[in-house]
Parts: sequence; C-alpha cells; structure tokens
Amino acid sequence: MNTITRTWVVNEVEQTVTFEGLRRLLDVLREDLRLTGVKEGCGEGECGACTVLINGEPVTSCIVPAVQVPEGAEILTVEGLEKLELGRRIQKAYIEKGSVQCGFCTPGMLMSSYALLSRNSRPTEQEIREAHAGNLCRCTGYEKIVDAVRAVADELERGTRSTV
Amino acid sequence: MKTLEDILCRQPETLREALTLLSDEATRGVLLSGGTDLIVQWQAGAVPMPEQIIDLSAVPELKNISEQDGRILIGAGVTHAAIRNHALTRGALPALVASCASIGARQIQSRGTLGGNVANASPAGDASPALLVADACVVTASLAGERCIPMKDFLLDYRKIDRHPDELILRFELTPCPKGGIELFSKIGTRGAQAISKVMGACRIVMHKGIVEQIALALGSVAATAIRLPETEALLTGKTLTEKLVDEAEACVMQEVHPIADIRSTAEYRRWVSGRIVRGFLASRMTGFGPPSC
Repeated sequence: MNTITRTWVVNEVEQTVTFEGLRRLLDVLREDLRLTGVKEGCGEGECGACTVLINGEPVTSCIVPAVQVPEGAEILTVEGLEKLELGRRIQKAYIEKGSVQCGFCTPGMLMSSYALLSRNSRPTEQEIREAHAGNLCRCTGYEKIVDAVRAVADELERGTRSTV
Repeated sequence: MKTLEDILCRQPETLREALTLLSDEATRGVLLSGGTDLIVQWQAGAVPMPEQIIDLSAVPELKNISEQDGRILIGAGVTHAAIRNHALTRGALPALVASCASIGARQIQSRGTLGGNVANASPAGDASPALLVADACVVTASLAGERCIPMKDFLLDYRKIDRHPDELILRFELTPCPKGGIELFSKIGTRGAQAISKVMGACRIVMHKGIVEQIALALGSVAATAIRLPETEALLTGKTLTEKLVDEAEACVMQEVHPIADIRSTAEYRRWVSGRIVRGFLASRMTGFGPPSC
C-alpha cells in the first residue's frame, strides 16, 4: 500500500486529492470530492454510468485507478456541464426530448454526448449511436437520447444561439 | 478482504526506470497498462489481487506511433482510440484500425492499449489477427537489451506469451498494407457490437487482374492463440479468384482451424463461421464491394 497525492482540475476547479494504491477514480470523485452525480452501475466498465472525461477523453471511472490520472489533468463530470455552454445545451435538449426516465444512466450518457459533440459538431446517426454504445439505458430505448444529441448538432449547425 | 487500495503501485516515469524495477525480483510486479482487463479480473476475483504492480501508464517511450524504414512502429502503451485516430495507422493498417474500433466501447478504447490486448493473451484478443496479417514483430525490452519476436512466435499458447519476467513489451513493428492491397476485418459475436468475439478474422490481399498475388489470413478464437492460415494462403496464392476457388478455400479453412467449445460458442459453429469469414473476404474481392485499396 502506498499513498499518492495529485492535483487535478476538476470541473474547472483545482483540487488536491490523496489516495492509496489503486483506489478507483470513481471512489475519489464520489467519496472524497462528493461528486455523487458520477454513478456506479456495473463496476466493471460495461454500463457507462460512471463515465467522466479525462482531458476530453471519455472513460469509465470505475476501472480507472486514480494513480493513472496524471498531475494537472482536467476532469469533467456531470456536475461541471452546467459551467459550459455546450454542456447546458445538451442538458436542455435531454429535457426537451424526454431523454431521461429513471435517470441513473443520464450522468454518464450526458458525458458521452459532450465528448462526441465537443469534437464533432456534425455527427452522423451512426456516429451518435457509436459514441453512446458504452452507455446502457434500460428505460428509454435510446431513441430519445439520439434525438437530443441530433437536436444539439442541428442547433450548432444552424448557428442559432438559444439562451441557455 | 484485500482491495485495490492495498496494492503497492510503483509508477516509473521513464523506460529505464521501468526496466530497472523489472530487473529486480524485489520490485518486479504485475505490469499494468490500461487496466481494462486486469482491474476487472482482480475485482471479480477471477485473478488474485497482486501484492505490487508496476504501472506503465506514465512511461512516455511506450506511447508513440511512428514510421521507420518503411515499417509502422506502435508503442505498447498506445490506446485503441489513438490507433483509430492516427493518420499513419488509418492509412497503412486498416484491419488493425477496424479491430481497435471493435474493442469495447469508446470509454474502453480510451484506456485499453495494444500492448495490454496482446499481453492479456486471450485467444479472443481482437487486435491479434490484424497484427498477424501485417507480419508484426513484438519488440520486448529489458536492461539486457531488446528482442524482436515475430507475432506468431510471441503467442505461445492459451494465455501464454514469450515475455521474460524482466521484460516488458516495448512496441510493435508492422509492415504497412502495400499499395493496391486491401485489408479487411470481420468479427462475429453474440451481438453486432459490445460483445466478446466468437470468431474474428483479418485479411490482407493484393490482387492483380483477378489473380491473388499475395494473401495473408488470420483468425482469432479458433485455437489456443490467434493463428495465420498458411494452408489456405498457399491454396489461394497465384490463382485466379473463381467461385470454385472460394469454395475450396472455405473448405480448407474449416480443416485448418482447431476451435473449442466454451461459454461463448461451440466448436462446430466456430469452424463453420471461420470458413464463412474467409469466404466473405474473398467474395468481396470478386464483386468489387468493400473498402478502397491502400
């Protein structure tokens, strides 16, 4: 066992964390930083409920040891989305399109939507579906989630700036 | 109960530092790369949690993709996402790119690495057939120096690779798909995506005026390791691709593989699908359907 200290930029705020051995990023976020929007579903990297972004890359935080997140890394969780214009647009579209039912998958799903749209503002239907293939939802049947992502992409393409 | 937090983690920041840790039995530990297999196996109790590990995620020498003397070099710590996105791999190794795109979801591709996929040495490791058709060499390193081992020799047996205890996988060296050649990848699982392979295959083929000039075929999940199909390759090389030849090749594949039955599929189904995968590769060359050449 060994103790490690890291400073990251979590949701645009500098945070110093201390943890042991291979403690999971998920546990550091939920228990140490109280970011309980990050959900644990399967705990084995299959369901995507714990998805967060490390330097823009989506990862399942339940199988990422915190020690592998380098010093200075930028971490974005669902709690950080409202600070970002694209994040707010995606959240609004999920509400408008009825993309949330029980809501457990939603924090991870939103992060996959953000990871996709921040790199590719004009995704094809196939690209939207592939980008969310690692996020399981047992309620919605996915259609309304795809609708929400497409709606944001259409909005970005039109260049309209709705007030969010 | 032992948890992940009880594991002593050493995190070298240079290759030299990693090799030094590996050279000493006291500091030698399980090598951790992206963790997408190991963390899950440890947590599920499928593999006992180790006392100590060496985390390779901070070793910069393992993370490059480059071209040298006509070969493509891919560091063992390069992620599946990076292989999908890099211009060199996209241009020269389409089967490898396709196989990396089929490994897990985007979140797994962000973390999982090529070195980890090969070191895990599952017969269902999706990258291995594509490495085999690109005549990959595995370069290992220890303080004593480097070894360059052909991929087909590196995969020794079920979950066994030719890595010495003081070595790590440094990089893979691959031959790019030749101009005018084509690479194909096919994966059959329980679902269309997000499923462990029942059978998967890769093919590299160079055709000229309907004749098979060069062909490399490899399948995974049909033997203890991923394998090339030398008999089927020999049958096809230098011949005009006809319906009859495709039938013969399919039959040849079916006797060349040695699948087993396990939780994911039966031996009989795997044998049949092996033939169909190769038939699909060849048929696409006859009809002209398929991806553009390299």
